[in-house]
Amino acid sequence: MSAPPVRRSVLGMTAQDSGAVVQLDGVRKEYGETTALDGVSLRIGAGEAVAVMGPSGCGKSTLLNMIAGLDRPTAGSVVVQGENVGELSEKQLALYRRRRIGMIFQFFNLIDDLSALDNVALAAQLTGTPARQARRRALELFEELGIADRRNAYPALLSGGERQRVAVARALMNRPALLLADEPTGALDSRSGEQVMDLLIDLNQIGQTLILVTHDEHLARRCAGRIVEFADGRVTGEHTLEPSA
Amino acid sequence: MRAVWRTARAAVRRRLLQTTVIALVTLTSTAALVVALGLVDAASAPFDKAFAQQRGPHVVASFDRAAASDAALARAARQPGVEAVAGPYPEASVALPQDAMTFGLGRQITVVGRADPDADVDRLDVWAGRWATRPGEVVLNRDRDWAPDDLGKTLTIPSGPRLTVVGFAYGLSGTADAWVTPGQADALAPRASQLLLRLTDGTSSEDRLRAGLATVTEELPADALTAARTYLGLKERVSGSARAYTPYLMAFGVLGISVSVLIIGNVVSGAVISGFRHIGVLKSIGFTPGQVVAVYLTMISVPSVLGCALGAAAGNLLARPFFDFVFSGPDAGILHGSVSIAPWVNAVALLGMPAVCVLAALAPALRAHRMSAARAISAGSAPRAGRALAVQRRLAGSPLPRPVSLGMGLPFARPGRSALTLAAVVLGAATVTFATGLATTMDRFGNAGRGAYDLTVYVGAHEDGREIRPEHGDRALHELLAGLPGAREVTARADVEVGMAGSAQEVMLEGRRGDRPRLDDMLTDGRWHRAPGEIVAGSAFLRQNGLRVGDTVRLERGGRSERVRVVGEVMQTNSRMIVGDWRTLRALAPDEDPIAYHVLLRPGADADAYARAARAADRGLSPALTGPNSVTQTVVGSAAALTTLLALVAALGVFHTVVLNTRDRRRDLGMLKSIGMTPAQVTVMKVTSMAVLGALGSLLGVPLGVAGHRMVVPRMADAVDITLPSYMTDVWQAPALAGLALAGIVIAVLGALVPARRAGRLTAAEVLRNE
Repeated sequence: MSAPPVRRSVLGMTAQDSGAVVQLDGVRKEYGETTALDGVSLRIGAGEAVAVMGPSGCGKSTLLNMIAGLDRPTAGSVVVQGENVGELSEKQLALYRRRRIGMIFQFFNLIDDLSALDNVALAAQLTGTPARQARRRALELFEELGIADRRNAYPALLSGGERQRVAVARALMNRPALLLADEPTGALDSRSGEQVMDLLIDLNQIGQTLILVTHDEHLARRCAGRIVEFADGRVTGEHTLEPSA
Repeated sequence: MRAVWRTARAAVRRRLLQTTVIALVTLTSTAALVVALGLVDAASAPFDKAFAQQRGPHVVASFDRAAASDAALARAARQPGVEAVAGPYPEASVALPQDAMTFGLGRQITVVGRADPDADVDRLDVWAGRWATRPGEVVLNRDRDWAPDDLGKTLTIPSGPRLTVVGFAYGLSGTADAWVTPGQADALAPRASQLLLRLTDGTSSEDRLRAGLATVTEELPADALTAARTYLGLKERVSGSARAYTPYLMAFGVLGISVSVLIIGNVVSGAVISGFRHIGVLKSIGFTPGQVVAVYLTMISVPSVLGCALGAAAGNLLARPFFDFVFSGPDAGILHGSVSIAPWVNAVALLGMPAVCVLAALAPALRAHRMSAARAISAGSAPRAGRALAVQRRLAGSPLPRPVSLGMGLPFARPGRSALTLAAVVLGAATVTFATGLATTMDRFGNAGRGAYDLTVYVGAHEDGREIRPEHGDRALHELLAGLPGAREVTARADVEVGMAGSAQEVMLEGRRGDRPRLDDMLTDGRWHRAPGEIVAGSAFLRQNGLRVGDTVRLERGGRSERVRVVGEVMQTNSRMIVGDWRTLRALAPDEDPIAYHVLLRPGADADAYARAARAADRGLSPALTGPNSVTQTVVGSAAALTTLLALVAALGVFHTVVLNTRDRRRDLGMLKSIGMTPAQVTVMKVTSMAVLGALGSLLGVPLGVAGHRMVVPRMADAVDITLPSYMTDVWQAPALAGLALAGIVIAVLGALVPARRAGRLTAAEVLRNE
């Protein structure tokens, strides 16, 4: 059963928002002797859906972590909505992630002993939003994503697709400027994967900027308007896709 | 086997922090256990141990040399019931001249002729110099606290030889004040022969010991036995102080053992449980269940055995100064040389603690042994869903800041681990509460009557081995001291031994005259003496003589007699002492002069300057400044040391729990950081999780500590036969309890802070990549 299309109200941005949301210039990342990113430059505009593709270990997830402010570049700059992420303190990075970033992981990363609703509300509560208000907003998202009936279930009792929808709801909770998805269908069966893909397409269609890391070409082609190819920590190719009918 | 060893070694290297924590926890716990068990052992029977070590005599008997020959005494000592005998030794009672140096032995001394310090009974410890081997040599009976700087000086015997001090020996039983060679003793005109007996039934009552002596003397002339005493009186006197410490030391001992075992159980079992995922991986690559158990036991055993060995050594090092500290003072002090850590304590620590570690590791390791690889992997990755869910749901909806409410829910995710941590915090809080109460009581006890006087000016001084008497008479001295700059109050004091009708024991009557006749005594019942014929007495005196406040007794001395009424009970440990008006004392001893004057100075006056002025005014005076109370210092100091040690062990337990919880929840932490949790919020969450246990720990531990104080303090007071006024025992007022309520929280927060901050600094990308 496919969910109804997501309404625009779940997002924080307006359709008129434009310009570069993400700007990477000569980004390098080294872990000891290993170079994970080797001079990556990339520009992503508002409302774009970009898929970063490449083989395992090529640096895709590291790129995503740089943009999410989970890691700092060794050299170069990562600017998101005018903010140079590499120059932020740990606390500022945390606030940056709260306000601007929503993340979706391959293995969902839900907290086992919180209900689905509380997992989602948590993202808002960390910003100081009262519990009642946070739960109300979470419930809106559950309804938009078609999982309202599963709101009181615990992660262990949810299917993979449901868990990833809960993770998407959590990522959207604070109306982020940028949605980052790291292999979002990698742990799902094909049917659940399709549902999550539809959800991401819906979100992008209503204006959500999306960066998708995957090695699944089908997912990239369905969800993204542009594909960035990655190998050995470098951008090796880039092409824009025709909008699907 | 090689695979097991290599895997265990690799795991130890990879978990360096955990290995270090296990080693540290076992080290501190074992050290605490050694001190605690050592205390329990030492406090249980310190006199008996020292007495047995010296093979002390159960009976010390003196016989008239004219009535019983040495041969007759030797025959008598072969009676059944006598286990061992020493003597007969010639025994002389010698009065030293007024102006002779007494070496602190008193004017009337007992000199015994002994060829050898070693004997079957009463083995003397010659701790300085050597034994007397020639005429003209003497060995003095002194304990090791004395400085041996009197060696080579001479002891002058009236109308007899000058004896050179060649050694100091110590005999717990006090069978003589000085020893000389038997030949030299004969020259002192001994009138008695001393026989030292150990009886086969030596541990029984006074009556049975007396019956044993009667068997020995039955074939001797009826008047041959001139004096005899059993060791029970000595035991009663010497053990008194040590006995006062016993309930408190026992309480600390039990707390120390409990905290140590609990923390070790928690740390070790937690380490294995947190390794379930690793166990699953090992099984999945072909390790047999037995090999997996072996890997984990090796991993735990290496740091814990090392920690136990170092901890036992540290415990022994800590215990030595601690015992010296505890077994000090005029009575118990003579025991401290013989009190040490018993070998069994080290054996228990070195074998018992590693055994506790292995057992604590074995239970979860065997659980993992039975688990399938897949189940072990999932069991190790996160707590099972369904646990504590209701608590988390309620907390999620609470108005508390989310990091706080998340932290409050964390202990419920691992209830077993949390319960063990809680138990340690409870005992930690109980220890702090108990120690605080005890310190307050002891502080009030030690400071009772303090401020009554700043100096004691003794009558008489010694210079170059000669006693110097004051130039002034009593009244003149009193006026002189009152007239010196800075003096505010002067109180004279004299002691005199008097008989009490109906009692065989002599009583020490203390008469006081001057500005403050109460001096530093604390009244616990009745009132102070106001007129001649009224006395106050300590609880021990009243109990031993079956007296109460209001009773009348008759005091006698040298044909004089006075009826006195007990009008008050004071806090006094001396069971022979009573205090009365100066006129009461003079009525019984008209010629008795004060032995000391107690001087209270004006505020700001210099006590040293006053002492110098007093000495300059009369060379026959010896002023002494009032020093700190050593008993109070001992108990407060030792309680503080033990409390710090146990609180440290409890905090280490909390530390380890947070380290394990952080590892278990690394994935959650990474995710929380990815959605914007700041490092400070992570720290708050982690610290809150332990503060909850701390608060619960206080809630349970504080009443436990209060109960311990209420149980132990009266027993300590009973042991030394004193009644404590209520203000010394009622130490639990609301502000104190409120402060103590923080004890558990402080222990938990201190233990949690470092690993919580470390968790706050975790790099989310690294955690999530590893997952």
